[in-house]
Amino acid sequence: MSPLTLVRLALAGSRTDTLRVVLTAASAAVATPLLLLSAAVIAIPGFGQGHRGSDSWAEQYRLQVLVEPGLRPGVVITLVLMTIPVLALAAQCGRLGAPARDRRLAAIRLAGATPGQAVRLAAAETGLASALGSAAGLAGYLILRRALGRPGADGRLLLPTDVLPATWALVAICAGLPLLATAVAMLLLRRVAFTPYGVVRRSRNRPPGPYAGILIVIGAVAMAVLQPGFRWAERIKWSPPGWVLPAILFVGTLCAALGVVLGTGWISYTAGRILRRYGRRPAALLAGSRLMADPWSGSRTFAVLLICVLFGAGAAGARSWFATDFAVREEAGRWQAAQAGQPYYADDNSFYFTTLDLINGAVAFGVALAAAGMLVAVVEGIVSRRRAYSSLVATGVPRGVLARSIVLQAVAPVVPAVLVAAAVGVTLIHAIAGGSVRSANYESSSCTSADCTTEVVVHVPSFVRQIPVPLADLALLGGLAVAAALAVVGVGLLFLRPATAVEELRTT
Amino acid sequence: MILQCRGLVRSYGPTQALRGVAMAVDEGEILAVTGPSGCGKSTLLHCLAGITRPDAGEVIYRDQRVDLLSEAGRARLRRTEFGVLFQFGQLVAELTAAENVALPLLLAGTGRREARTAALSWLDRLGVADLAEKRPGEVSGGQQQRVALGRALVTEPRVLYADEPTGALDTLAGEQVLGHMVRLAREQRTTVVLVTHDARVAAYADRELALRDGVADPTGLGLNASAGRHAGSAR
Amino acid sequence: MSTSHVLLGLLASGPRHGYDLKRAHDERLPRARPLAFGQVYTTLGRLERDGLVRAAAQERAGGPDRTAYEITQPGRAELVAWLGAVEPPAPYVTSTLLAKVVVALMVADRAHAREYLIAQRAAHTARLRELTARKTDPGAALGAVIAADFAIAHLDADLRWLQTTLDRVGATNGEQ
Repeated sequence: MSPLTLVRLALAGSRTDTLRVVLTAASAAVATPLLLLSAAVIAIPGFGQGHRGSDSWAEQYRLQVLVEPGLRPGVVITLVLMTIPVLALAAQCGRLGAPARDRRLAAIRLAGATPGQAVRLAAAETGLASALGSAAGLAGYLILRRALGRPGADGRLLLPTDVLPATWALVAICAGLPLLATAVAMLLLRRVAFTPYGVVRRSRNRPPGPYAGILIVIGAVAMAVLQPGFRWAERIKWSPPGWVLPAILFVGTLCAALGVVLGTGWISYTAGRILRRYGRRPAALLAGSRLMADPWSGSRTFAVLLICVLFGAGAAGARSWFATDFAVREEAGRWQAAQAGQPYYADDNSFYFTTLDLINGAVAFGVALAAAGMLVAVVEGIVSRRRAYSSLVATGVPRGVLARSIVLQAVAPVVPAVLVAAAVGVTLIHAIAGGSVRSANYESSSCTSADCTTEVVVHVPSFVRQIPVPLADLALLGGLAVAAALAVVGVGLLFLRPATAVEELRTT
Repeated sequence: MILQCRGLVRSYGPTQALRGVAMAVDEGEILAVTGPSGCGKSTLLHCLAGITRPDAGEVIYRDQRVDLLSEAGRARLRRTEFGVLFQFGQLVAELTAAENVALPLLLAGTGRREARTAALSWLDRLGVADLAEKRPGEVSGGQQQRVALGRALVTEPRVLYADEPTGALDTLAGEQVLGHMVRLAREQRTTVVLVTHDARVAAYADRELALRDGVADPTGLGLNASAGRHAGSAR
Repeated sequence: MSTSHVLLGLLASGPRHGYDLKRAHDERLPRARPLAFGQVYTTLGRLERDGLVRAAAQERAGGPDRTAYEITQPGRAELVAWLGAVEPPAPYVTSTLLAKVVVALMVADRAHAREYLIAQRAAHTARLRELTARKTDPGAALGAVIAADFAIAHLDADLRWLQTTLDRVGATNGEQ
């Protein structure tokens, strides 16, 4: 097969295929600058060298998290994490029009293509699209870098536009992203067997069990043993190597996130069973049956949303932890000041809250992308079932019943899943914090006279406060997530009417 | 003898589609495989063409064990030695008729111009040269099947497998497709395995192999083997 | 079948003499029994007696007496009436095949019935193949193709009915 034939066959497709190619390219174009930006942050001199005092600060930036070298790894991790929803959106878009593409590949197989050739055709599409997207992303990054390269009114830069990522990082990102996308596309195609006689999707038939809960428990336990563990290490005079803490945090979070996403399969299945058993209306029965038939579609669709909720809840938990911590310190400080007969000066803690606001921004960005991915999934679900829907409409099922079943199908699993994700996110932080904040008791000596002839020694006792569960924040977050899901389904329903026109019965 | 099989067994889950079928076809022969729906005739064709692999038994094409070949090896065999014609759905909806016919050549690495020339000449021989730039959705079912026949024959295969090739067509359109198929097969001395449930379609063949319940049915009427033994002893 | 109406139909396009009529008849309806000359002339005589045809011209061109006949006005009316009359839609219920199969299924000796049915199917299949070959011959005239279609459709109907009957009475697999 010549390369020209490969391209012709890979790009032969209808409007839906074109849309899929465009969306694949677009998500590569969004992910590339994010990764390039994180590489640029790494390239700022002094990256990751810890707290060396303000001498090593890069004062040319407006954001404190960029100024302090010790904070930059967090920025990099956040930026890299932000590409996850982007890439998940790309994966969701990869399913767009996939049945038609799979049929086409089966027909090509029938004409004598080897399995390898069929997979190469499908991979070529993704590879070409994401390579183009990556190139556009690189161009966009370079243009943006120039546009934002001039310092603002305060003589500072918003982004690290004064440094370029290392050459190897540039190449690795711009070439690696398309390669990764192609590899993922090929991996996903392994489930689809293009037999020459049609498409067989090897599906998992076993109903999902609640085993994902084990992963969540592992994550929570890992977090909960952190504080006691480190106290114990201190007592036996052993200092663990520096990577232990981030590693445990990472693995614990990963376990919990995976557990939430995988658990959605069980939640969907159970929600479907309950709807089937207790539903009396056709819409509930339809939605329940469909949830039981494909419980994993929910976890695929909502994965990013749930991870965003998890992080958002974690951020809310951290905010309430920090607030409690500062409150306890302030209490101790005020007590000490009162004892010493001195005025109390409050600490400036705004830095922490600004950083948490940045994380909230990233979560909102993720929710927006997750909503876009869900929209694609909902529309795809309606369009791919248009024959079944239009035959139902033709036999007299009101569109309203179909619409209600689609809404139920989306909402029935998403509400419990969001609750679980929020609970897990806040639990993780509480597990790390240990539920309450206790200030250390210490002795403080201070001078009361200018020449320091009299020294006052104050014994500051330990103050304890429970960390409250940030119920208001969590309700806002969960409400936002469910509202996003509902809005997406509502928009998707606009496609129900054209998709169920009786003429659609004629389409193949 | 160009193609034969022995003791073919193939199950789909608990149902046995083939329960030990043996058959042989001579070079240039047109064989009809007949029987009621569910008798295993399509499965037999799939095993012979290397589309599926039998659970047991052997398929031999010119001293070559088709059933032992890898998936890619069977795909190559289908591309070079075999042609397939199904009831519908084998054309790529997004490609034009000429591109569809040229597809097997392109997949085999033939140059684009050469493949196109060959495709156009086949469309001409099948009387659909004027449809070269049309997509399958824009032409009638009979015309689609003629394009599909062109695609099956463009590689000049030694064996053509046809599974109910006229099943979705009206009598006259089906007659045209079958007429072209038989004429071209005779011209090229192509062996044809024609699966059909329709006696009128089977009448285009030189010989008939009737199947019932996954085994050969020499009576053609499903009069069972035990009755045959009974008849033998009564005589 | 009404030979007289077929002859009227052949004369409708213009006068013909007896030999010509026989040839045209055998050509248009090749599957029907070939028409004997005697039958042509007796039929023509009857038609002339009834005033449906009349002798148009006599021709003696170095051969036997040849009378050309032409259709009359009452003849055309009769033809139109015949063409307008619907045939009773069950012309084959008295078929020998039906009688034989029914009897074959009734008789105790299954072996004989089985042999008869297999042989009958083989004969039908062979005839189908023969007719198909004749029909697909590039030189086949339209009349021959149409007649072959007619015979093929009926043979196919016979075969399908035979199979359905055997399946219905359970003579095939599964029953002892």
